[in-house]
Amino acid sequence: MNNTHALSNRLLTIIWLILVALTIATFSIGEAGLSGKHVMLTLLAIALIKSQIVANYFMDLRNSKLIWRSIMFGYFLIVGGLIWLAYLIGLK
Amino acid sequence: MDASTNTPDSVMLTEAQQNPNIKSEKGQGDLPGDLALWIFIFAEMLVFGVLFVAYAFTRANNVALFNDSQLTLSQTSGAINTLVLITSSYFVVRGVSAIKRGLSKQCAHWLTGALLLGGVFISIKLVEFYAKFAADITMSTNTFYMFYLSLTFFHFMHVLMGMVILGSIIAKAHRGGYSAQEHAGVETGASFWHMVDFLWIILFPLVYIIR
Repeated sequence: MNNTHALSNRLLTIIWLILVALTIATFSIGEAGLSGKHVMLTLLAIALIKSQIVANYFMDLRNSKLIWRSIMFGYFLIVGGLIWLAYLIGLK
Repeated sequence: MDASTNTPDSVMLTEAQQNPNIKSEKGQGDLPGDLALWIFIFAEMLVFGVLFVAYAFTRANNVALFNDSQLTLSQTSGAINTLVLITSSYFVVRGVSAIKRGLSKQCAHWLTGALLLGGVFISIKLVEFYAKFAADITMSTNTFYMFYLSLTFFHFMHVLMGMVILGSIIAKAHRGGYSAQEHAGVETGASFWHMVDFLWIILFPLVYIIR
């Protein structure tokens, strides 16, 4: 199955460059010393997008059964959601 | 007649026994690589997930302490290490792509690149750990450092484990042990390495950036 849906090396390189750009965005937010719940939400969203990209395109889960993709997406959503909740609690 | 009906079955049985992970036997939608390692990957994700959430809720009760202590971390080192792991993951996926086309040597070269980047990650982390210990910072200094040192060291050990796995795959690839049809071992090792990568993708903003 993997051969049938194999990504081209060109697309893999584009995906890698997207991950690099998102990492630089995270670093820039940190360097600017930005904080607050909107910044936090942005950072979490970037981490979620990056993790999903790695899972779907590098780990090659995008063609896997729904159960496996759900476990992976659910993991990022639950862990990210709880980190978000904890951050909001910390603001009070 | 008996011989002609028995022979193909016995040949197929032998092939299956010799190659239990043979790619052609995997069905549409299966996880890449060995299922046993995926159970291990999910277990590791669970452990890290609990640690990430524990960090976040402990921080919620010690915001000032965590924010002050976080200032002593090098965001530049953390960002460089993120880029290093992302790039190593890219090299690994190129290695998998190469072996799917039957290019064993090319696969070994890409994986060697990933292994070297793993070495860069380890070196940067060792410099960070050394700086902290030189400043008399240990796990008992405060709650933030307890989490920072334990989380990053736990992850550090996973990078080392991933490097050992990559090393053994590279050695087998050099011997021509994988092919376009049989490369489950490469996919299994690759999946572990990508897990190490995406756990750091969460760890980096959580510990180094979010404040």
